[in-house]
Amino acid sequence: MEITFEHVTHSYDVNSPTANLGLDDVTLKIKNGLFTAIIGQTGSGKSTLVRHINALLKPTSGTITIGDRVITSDTNNKNLKPLRKQIGMVFQFPESQLFEETVEKDIMFGPMNFGATETEAREAARTVIKLVGLDESYLTQSPFDLSGGQMRRVAIAGVLASDPETIILDEPTAGLDPVGRKEIMSLFKDLQVKGKTIILITHNMDDVANYADAMAVIHRGKLIAQGFPKEVFNNQELLKNDLITLPKSAEFAKGLMQQGFHFDKLPITIDELGTEIKHQLNGD
Amino acid sequence: MPGDSIIYRLDPRGKFLLTFYFVGIVFLANNVASYAFLLAFVLFAVYLSKINFGFFIKGLQPIFWLILFTVALQLFFTPSNHPIWHWGFLTFSKEGMVIAAYIFIRFVLIIFISTLLTLTTTPIEISDSIESILKPLKKINFPVTQVALMLSIALRFVPLLVDETTKIMDAQRARGVDFGEGGLIKRIKSFVPILIPLFVSSFSIAYDLAIAMESRGYKDGEGRSKYRVLNWSKRDNFMILFMTVLTIILLFLRSY
Amino acid sequence: MEKIISIANLNYTYPDAKQAAINDLSLDIYKNEWISIVGKNGSGKSTLTKLIDGLIEADSGTISVAGQIINEDNIWEARKKIGIIFQNPDHQFVGATVEDDVAFGLENQGMPREQMVKEIDRALELVKMSDFKKRDPQSLSGGQKQRVAIAGVLATKPQIIIMDESTSMLDPDGRKTVLNLVQQLRKEQDLTIISITHDIEETELSQRIVVLNTGKIVKDGKPVEIYDLGTDLRKYGLEEPFSSKLMSTLRDTVKLPEGYLSEEELEQQLWKLHSNM
Ligand SMILES: Nc1ncnc2c1ncn2[C@@H]1O[C@H](COP(=O)(O)OP(=O)(O)OP(=O)(O)O)[C@@H](O)[C@H]1O
Ligand SMILES: Nc1ncnc2c1ncn2[C@@H]1O[C@H](COP(=O)(O)OP(=O)(O)OP(=O)(O)O)[C@@H](O)[C@H]1O
Ligand SMILES: [Mg+2]
Ligand SMILES: [Mg+2]
Repeated sequence: MEITFEHVTHSYDVNSPTANLGLDDVTLKIKNGLFTAIIGQTGSGKSTLVRHINALLKPTSGTITIGDRVITSDTNNKNLKPLRKQIGMVFQFPESQLFEETVEKDIMFGPMNFGATETEAREAARTVIKLVGLDESYLTQSPFDLSGGQMRRVAIAGVLASDPETIILDEPTAGLDPVGRKEIMSLFKDLQVKGKTIILITHNMDDVANYADAMAVIHRGKLIAQGFPKEVFNNQELLKNDLITLPKSAEFAKGLMQQGFHFDKLPITIDELGTEIKHQLNGD
Repeated sequence: MPGDSIIYRLDPRGKFLLTFYFVGIVFLANNVASYAFLLAFVLFAVYLSKINFGFFIKGLQPIFWLILFTVALQLFFTPSNHPIWHWGFLTFSKEGMVIAAYIFIRFVLIIFISTLLTLTTTPIEISDSIESILKPLKKINFPVTQVALMLSIALRFVPLLVDETTKIMDAQRARGVDFGEGGLIKRIKSFVPILIPLFVSSFSIAYDLAIAMESRGYKDGEGRSKYRVLNWSKRDNFMILFMTVLTIILLFLRSY
Repeated sequence: MEKIISIANLNYTYPDAKQAAINDLSLDIYKNEWISIVGKNGSGKSTLTKLIDGLIEADSGTISVAGQIINEDNIWEARKKIGIIFQNPDHQFVGATVEDDVAFGLENQGMPREQMVKEIDRALELVKMSDFKKRDPQSLSGGQKQRVAIAGVLATKPQIIIMDESTSMLDPDGRKTVLNLVQQLRKEQDLTIISITHDIEETELSQRIVVLNTGKIVKDGKPVEIYDLGTDLRKYGLEEPFSSKLMSTLRDTVKLPEGYLSEEELEQQLWKLHSNM
């Protein structure tokens, strides 16, 4: 399913005298089967953008097309189930996503709503809880009695359980320990390699460099750049105006360039950087 | 809530009391002239507030059916000696039409004026006003500070709950619940699964909120200073005077 | 050095939980120190902060703040000294607007209004949220919420600031700004900073790193000592710093010294190798 935004504007609280703009005339295409990262400063409109993809928010003007579904300001709330079955979403604050009495029930909620039997849903819960690095003993606990990072894992499990085609992740690794973060990012990458579309909002530029095929930069509600990560991170215009931050490897490469080293394009991952340095030192 | 019209700047205590007062005197109106006069006053106040008229019409929406029902009741059940139309226990007459129109205007007046209060006053200001209005009761050992604090926490808790409801609904929507689908019964039914989680998470919100308040040094409301101060100004005196004149004119029109 | 917090043999198990969240933990924290607490998800970091502030009561053990063992009578004195920025900003807003929320802590101190107005403006200015003063905190973006929560604590000028992953949703620039700000305040106002984080880079600012695992302290040392653990760090849910990762990819063909090098040191080494070519 391809996702396209055409001139999408979203204004919060049009119903009150205090409206403010969340998105401003965004036109964007998110390609099927790719891992797309969305970055931008605090409050730039990233969460607002992705909430349009599963119609939790409707545009104030403009259209969003998801496969053959079209969403505009007058789309009503009927019949959105098929859309939401295809699009899973992990919210920015995991606490706001959990609502059942036990972790198991919470994970089973999605699959059962989309027509799985109880046995199938229970089976799914057992499988996904391990995928996110928790053991089965957590299934009987209340999701509110978990640590921040454990809640995050349960929230991710709840979305994976319904096996959606497209997965939207709003800062999914904030609060995860580094080992957990790496495991879960690799899990998403695996899913994408197996054919799913992944949309990731993150402030971690290394994750963008390591996992994303495409990226989009949002600034004050506007889309200001999109393309391959390597291109975007080498975009002099953006860098000059401090609109993006570099991944660690690129930052380090910039430092090396002060004395002797030379990079045509800044490397963005450790492997790229390592290869380049070896090449320049050993001449091979 | 940004806004710089004169209505925003009135002291919330005055606004709060005068709104109640106005709702009271609406019931004094009894003829075309007095209703027209009150309507003119409310429209003038709405104009002064510089708020888009649409927001006031929206205020009518939630109780639209109630208004329709009451108006219909008056229209068909007002007894009359000169009915235009008569069928079984239903009568339709000129008197009925007039009373129905009055009732309708009364609704409009009350809704518009209270919408004006809520759109130009924050809940915090309202709870501060209540505290300040109740202050004299301190003399008879009424726990004013505590009551006001409970009220402001309750007022704080309500939007948190509303927010939580939205979040739970969003979380369920995202995982395949359609809230907008089907008839009224079906829609009401789909709200049941929200109630239990809402109940559970309202405890966890209350707990988190209590922890946050304690960690920020909140003990029992004594010895606190206040960030929000209420300022009674000339403007507010003028409003009282204005309301008095309004009442006198109203009484005059009433017996006209 | 003066001890500001001293924890001895602390134990805590949540009601109905099978395992202890804090297990016989002892720790001294010194005045003006910046200490990082790190460890796997569920290792007990947030629980520890709630215990320090007396928000939950330990099963056994003692906690002293500024020389006083805390009990029910003096806990309010201790709380005045400690400012906590919680992990989830969502349920910690007390005020209906951003400015009211920042005011809450100051009102509790009984600060006169004129001074309060100044302090609120200053705190919001520091976290760059002045434009959002009149907004409902619930309607802010994730990172904006975190900034307001930070302002609420900075305004009260505590002696000890505990940050529970409070920069996790800020953009890289915003995070740098906040951390530098805290560092500056620490130096100027003799603050003590306890920072809970999963970000290894953030720990570089600290003088000491404490690693928690299943409610116990398993490592306690200077950042360099901790970074030197190399791949062993993974046992505790941590990752190696950037320079160590880069060094392991280079080692097969580039001659580098053993052990941990900071980024600057590694840069120097590479420059030297390059000029010797
Ligand atoms: N419910 C709301 N009502 C009013 N304004 C809102 C609401 N939600 C968000 N906004 C505003 O819209 C803008 C964009 O918010 P959004 O949550 O999309 O940002 P974001 O890019 O996800 O930021 P972050 O990285 O901090 O999460 C912000 O300025 C925010 O204050
Ligand atoms: N309210 C609670 N009731 C019962 N158990 C809890 C509760 N809160 C936390 N726990 C458990 O106590 C342990 C420690 O939790 P804590 O929140 O202190 O971890 P943490 O180190 O802060 O983790 P994270 O990095 O994920 O935030 C975890 O195993 C968690 O499941
Ligand atoms: Mg966001
Ligand atoms: Mg925690």
